[in-house]
Order: sequence, then C-alpha cells, then structure tokens
Amino acid sequence: MAFTEFLINTLVFCGIILSIVLAILLLYKTEKIKLLEQSIAKLKISLNEMDEQAKLIVRTDMELNKAQEELDKKIVGLYALQRLSRSISTTLEENLIFKMIDFSVIEELGFEKACCFLFDEGLNQFVLQLNIGYSRGEIEGIMKMVASDINRYLELIKEESTTSSISLTTDPEFREKMGKVFRVASFIASPLLPKEGSKGFFLAGTMSRETLISEGDEELITILANQLGQALENARLFEKTWRAHQELEKKVEERTRELSKALEEVKMISRRKTDFVSSVAHELRTPLTSIKGYAAIVLSEKLGTLPPPLKERLEKINRHSDELAQLVNDLLDISRIESGRVSMEQQPQDLKSIVEEVVDLLSIIIKEKQIEFSYSVPQEAQSVYVDRGQIKRVLINLINNAIKFTPSNGKITVSCSSGDHEVRVDVQDSGYGIPESSIDKIFEEFYRVDNPINQEAKGTGLGLPLVKNIIEAHKGKIWVKSKLGNGSTFSFTLPKPIQ
Amino acid sequence: MAIIVGMGLGLDRDLPVAVQNAVRQAKANVHQSYRIHLAIVFSTIEFASPQVLKTLYALLGQVHIVGASSLGIITNQGIFRHGLAIMLLSFPKNIFCSTSFVQKISAKSSTNAGEELGEKLLFSFKNTQRDLGLVFSDGLIRDTSGFLYGLKERLGWSFPLAGACASDNYEFKKTFVYFNEQASSDAACGIIWGGKMNFGLGIKHGWKALGQPRTVTKATGNTIYEIDGQNAVSVYKDYFDFDIYRLKSELKRLSIMYPIGVYLEGEEECLLRNVVSLENDKALVCQGYVPEGSGIRLMIGTKESCLAATQEALNEAKTNLLGRQADFVFVFDSIARYMLLGRQAGKELDIIKQGLGKDVPIMGIYSFGEQAPLKAVNFQGKVYFHNQTISILGIGG
Repeated sequence: MAFTEFLINTLVFCGIILSIVLAILLLYKTEKIKLLEQSIAKLKISLNEMDEQAKLIVRTDMELNKAQEELDKKIVGLYALQRLSRSISTTLEENLIFKMIDFSVIEELGFEKACCFLFDEGLNQFVLQLNIGYSRGEIEGIMKMVASDINRYLELIKEESTTSSISLTTDPEFREKMGKVFRVASFIASPLLPKEGSKGFFLAGTMSRETLISEGDEELITILANQLGQALENARLFEKTWRAHQELEKKVEERTRELSKALEEVKMISRRKTDFVSSVAHELRTPLTSIKGYAAIVLSEKLGTLPPPLKERLEKINRHSDELAQLVNDLLDISRIESGRVSMEQQPQDLKSIVEEVVDLLSIIIKEKQIEFSYSVPQEAQSVYVDRGQIKRVLINLINNAIKFTPSNGKITVSCSSGDHEVRVDVQDSGYGIPESSIDKIFEEFYRVDNPINQEAKGTGLGLPLVKNIIEAHKGKIWVKSKLGNGSTFSFTLPKPIQ
Repeated sequence: MAIIVGMGLGLDRDLPVAVQNAVRQAKANVHQSYRIHLAIVFSTIEFASPQVLKTLYALLGQVHIVGASSLGIITNQGIFRHGLAIMLLSFPKNIFCSTSFVQKISAKSSTNAGEELGEKLLFSFKNTQRDLGLVFSDGLIRDTSGFLYGLKERLGWSFPLAGACASDNYEFKKTFVYFNEQASSDAACGIIWGGKMNFGLGIKHGWKALGQPRTVTKATGNTIYEIDGQNAVSVYKDYFDFDIYRLKSELKRLSIMYPIGVYLEGEEECLLRNVVSLENDKALVCQGYVPEGSGIRLMIGTKESCLAATQEALNEAKTNLLGRQADFVFVFDSIARYMLLGRQAGKELDIIKQGLGKDVPIMGIYSFGEQAPLKAVNFQGKVYFHNQTISILGIGG
C-alpha cells in the first residue's frame, strides 16, 4: 500500500516536473516561432520591396528600350537618308530620281511599302512615280482610288505638312481611309513641293501592327520628301537651263550656217572678181604691150624726127603705159596668189642678204631724200624659210612706201627679231602716219589713204594688198601701228626653217 | 574525313534570280565529283512559297531539302533581312543521314505529330547508331513542348537534339518549314545523323532573374492560370503598370523582352518562356510547358548579358567539340535577341566568327523558339523547348 502510495507520489512529482519542463520548452518554442514569424514577415517585406523595385526597373528598362529603339531606328534611317541624299543630289534627270529609292532604303527607314505620286495638271491626274512593296494589282487599285479622290489628295499637298496615322488631324476619317487605300496599318505621307513644276506626295507605310510609328519617323519621312522635292526642283531647273542652252546652241548653229553660207557666197564673188580681174588684166596687157611698143618705136625717131610737143606727148603715153603695165602686173599677181595659182617657192634663206639687196636697190632714193636709214638683222633672226623673190618684193614695197611718206631728213629703221618659230620684221618710219580710221582698210585693194602725199604721188592702191597676200601665203601675219603725225610701223612675220 | 560544304546566298529582289544565284554559288563550292546528300535552306519569309521550293528542288537535282523561314538569315557574310541561303552537304561514306516531314500538326495533337516525325526519322536508321537530330517546326504551333515530348518519346529522352522554330517578319502570322519541294505551315521536318561524326552544341540565353521568386499554383500544359494563388495575368501586368488593353496590344513585344523564367528540378539553368497570348484575360498562354508547382521569376535581358551569353554558348559548343574542327556551324538565334540587340545584332555573328575562324561556313536563322538539351546536374542533358536563347551547333566529320 505504502509502495503504491509512494509510486503515485513519485509519478505525480515526475508529472509536475515534466509539466514544468514542457511548459518551459513550450515557452521557448513559442518565442522561437515568434522570432521566425518576425523574420518571415521581414523577408516578405523585403521580397515585396524587391518586387516593387523590380517593377520600377522593368518600367525604366521599357522606357530605355523604347528610347534606344527609337534612337537605333533614327540612326539607321539617317544613314539611309544620307546615302540616298548623296545619290539623288547628283541626279539631274527627273526620271532617275525615284529610281534611286530602292527597297533597302525604305526598309532601313522602318517601312515595307512606299509610293510616290506627282500631279499632272495637263492630264488632271496623279501620276505614279515610285512603287515599292506593292504588287501590280495592288498599285493599280491604289491608283484608281487616288484618282477617285483627287481633290482630297490635292488638299493634302496644299496643307504643306506631313500627315500620318499617329498625327493629329482635322480629318481622322480620311486618315483611316488612307490606311485602307494604301493597304497599310501605319503610314506617313509627306508632300513634295518643288518650286518649279508639278507637286505631289510621298507615302511610306507598314503592314505590321507591331511597328509603332513615332514622331522621329515623321521627321525622317519629311526630310526625305523635302530632299525629293529639292532634287525635283534642281532637275527641272537643270532641264530648263539645258533646254535654253540647247536652243542657244541651235541658234548659234543656224547663225553659223547662215554665216558660212554668206562666207561661201563672198568667197565665190571674190573668186569671180579675181577671175574677172585676171582676165581683164590679161586682155589689157596685150594691147598695152602693143601701145608701149609702138610708142617706143616712134620715140626712138627711127620713123622720123618728132616735133618736141609730139615727143613730149609720146613720152607721157610711154610713162603712163609703164604705170598701167605695173598696175596690170600687180593685179595679176594678186589674183594669182589669191586663187592659189602661184605657190610660194619657199627655201631656207638669209634674211640679212635680202634686206641688204633691197637697201642697195633703194639707196639712191634714200640718199636723195636725205633720210637716215638703218637696219639690223641679228644672227638669230637671219635664217628664214621663204620665197626670196616675193619677200624681196614685200620689203621693196614697204620701204618704198616708208620713203614716200617720210619727209626729207626723216628716219627709217628696218629691224628683225627672232621668236620661237618665226622671225618678225618691223619697218618703222617717222613719216606722216596713217589716220586711225584708215588703219583697218589699208590692206584693202585700191584703198588709198587720203593725205597730201597720196594726192600728189601716183599709186595703184594694190601694193599693200599684194604684200599682205604674199605674207599670208607664207603663213605669216602682217599688221600696222600708226599715229597720225608720228610715223608708222609695218610689222610682219616670216617662218623659220624647220629644224 | 571532312564533310564537304558548299554555301550560297541569294539577295536579289527578284526571287527567281536570288534562288539561281544562291544555287550557283553553293554548287560552285562543291566539286562536281562529290555527290550532294542534303541541302539546308534558310530564307526570309518572301521566299517561303511552293514555287521557290519547286525551283530549288529542280535546280539542285532533287537533293533532299530541309529548312525554315525566318525574320532574317545569318551567314558568314552577315545578317540579311531579305535573302535565301543554301548549304549543300556531301558526307563521307561513314556518315549517314535520314530526313523526314510531318504535316497538319494541329489536327493530330502535337505529341502525336512529334511521335510520327520521330518514327519516320528512325525508319531508315533501324540498324545504325544515331548520333544527332535536327528539327525545324512551325513557329506558331501552340504546343511546341508537346511536339518535342512526342519526338523524344521516339528518339530517346537523352538523344541529342537541336532545332529551331521557324519565324516570320515579326508579324506572328505564318511561318514555314521546307521539305524537298514543299513549303508548309503547321508542319515540322527533321534530320538525324549517325556514323563517324563530331558535334558540339552550346546554348545560353543571358537573361537575368528579377523580382521575387513566385510559384505556379495552377497550370496545365502551356497555360498558367494562377501564380501564388492570384490571377496570373494580373501578376504579370503589374510589373508593367499596364491595363489589360495595353498589355494585349504590346504582349508579343513585352514577352520577348521580359519572359518568364522557369526553374526545373535537376537543371542548372532556368528555361525561358514567352507569353504568346492571354486566355480570358486571366491566364498566360506560354510557348512551352510550365509545370504546376514550378518556381518562376520575371526575367530581364541587357545587350551586355545577351552578348556575354553568346560567348558562353560558343565556348560550350567548342568545349563539346573536344578540340576538333567543325566543318560547318548552325546558329539558331531567338528573334528576342535580335530585337534587344538592335543595331548590335551583328556583334553576335562577330563573336561566333572570331571564335570559330572566319572560314568555317556558318548558317542560321532567327527563331520563335529553340530546341536543345539543358546542361543537367545528374545526366548528360534532357532536350527542352527554349525561348530567347542562342544555340550554336558545330558539326564535323
């Protein structure tokens, strides 16, 4: 009994002890759970905060991606525009401008379809200039629909601003209609406004509903349309200038043809004149020779002594016959040279010896008039390629003229100088000089300067034309510089022998 | 013995001209004495027509053609948004291959279609050891994971399989796979190789986890109904601060930039899933399976992490090639990466060319999804359907 009581008491004690231990353990665990719950709550808060931060990151990232995409698109578009701009700015043919735009350009601008129309006022309709991405059937349908609504599309051009599927407009219905007409989900249309000629519009579009059109795209298409407008204007201006130039060229050609014709006529008349002069001179020479011959026989008094008045008259006939013969000979020479019947027998010659021969021939007259005469032919100017007899004739003519028009005690200088392929000869006198109005005519046939000397002295007016003809037959040039009262300088060039 | 490879590229706007150019170039790179066994054809969507394929099949002399349409084609010469690339392959006697095709997937159930393709591919490989499979499927098949499941059922759960889902020009309207003279939607085609060949595959995405880890509390197949006991759509849209209408209109774009990362038991990497549509404005429909109970995170990618992942995938492919040279390389690159990288998209190609040598023929596509094994903790690798990855497959004889 006592044992049983002891056992019960022990069990009760143990139970109490166990209860106390369990209570302590429970308290401890409860505390731990509380701490854990607090940690979980903290963790949840952290996770929620992390998620909120994630949301912020995602939203910022979306904005950044959008901006980046926009930037990428713009850069690619600008590159495409720059490339296109370079090619269209150098194109001056209106037809070729639109051929420069290919699919790759439109694709780089972010579109798959593009078309361009210009309004032809004469036909009163829009004419298709560019088609990218549309089939033949599609574009024909578009052309029909544009033609059925011409006025609205003309208004679009008149508005002078870009319109698109995202831009604000007073006519949203038309905007929607445009999308349907051009079979695109989004589009941008910009007017082409060249100052010259017909205007139109350029449209780029995409069928993708995923591709979002932005203001940046509108700017790019506006730039492209402006460049196209500018290129059209340049091409049209160029065409206008080119046409004017062509007309001018045509006129010049016509005028040249007329002048050539006139020149041919002049040449023909001149040839006829030469032939006429030549035949007249020939016809004159025969009777003149007879007159001169008979006069000489009578003057020789072999047929009987002549009374002095008759002799005096006959001498006059003889002298005038000589002058007439000289005139006929000069005329014949000129006509021969002009007609090419006389060719210059050019050979290497010593110019100094030619000058000396001429001076020798004329020295008596020079002395008689007490003219100070000098000449110089330097070593390098001595060798010429000429017809000796003809050049001698030239020098005789020019020096004779100088003597004739230089008063006593005057001065005449003949100087020669050497150029690259020619020798220049100057015959300078201190004579009366030539009036300015006569300088251009002095080499014309039968022209005589109106001065007191010419009024007194006899001359044919054929000397200088003959000189000119001889020099030109040597492929040389002749000219004169003179001032009334200050003497004259006749210059001419002669060829040098070929080395 | 090396595999003889001839590559051709056609970029002309006139499609027949582009096709002829590509065939001429490809044939010029393979000596006439070699028999061409297989042609891989990748093209942008404009080329995806029966006429083009018929012309190709005739020009190539009825060589087996396998390929897919894409947003862009990747080749040694660059990335092209318009074009067609052909790779002609002539194998030595000790390498075998089999090709096949399955159509009308949606009418059969994806798993059955996968099984059918697997069976057809194995048909001519009865007594030969198979080493590698390559599959291209329509990028808009609703249950790509189911299709892959069926294929794995027949080819084996650890059989190395790589591939890509065809894409279009980012319209998500219609994508095509090519098989001989057919260009078909709602279809898939594949190749399996066997014999003395080497290959190395590397796959990475580079997207990083963001926000708190969440759990899929209710899901069936591709559809997530609840996340942490809440309406899945409301959880997803909260991250963007969008209303349901804006979420719907920008969903495709958002889901490739911010996909859902799914943690899988036993795998080192998480799988990424694009959300392709919303069901009754409450559930998220993904492009691949998301098992109920799996942990998920919202993922975010940057250009830098994306390019770093390309380098890692390349290193992995080279490691798996065990120091041997690849005769040709396939690149299956997610269109999400193309979108994210923008003007820097070419840098991925630069990394690959630099790592493999500029003379190794490279051909690839931008895909709506990729198939490849993940590096598992306990075994060699189980094939999954992925989004946002780049997979680099080097093959050599």
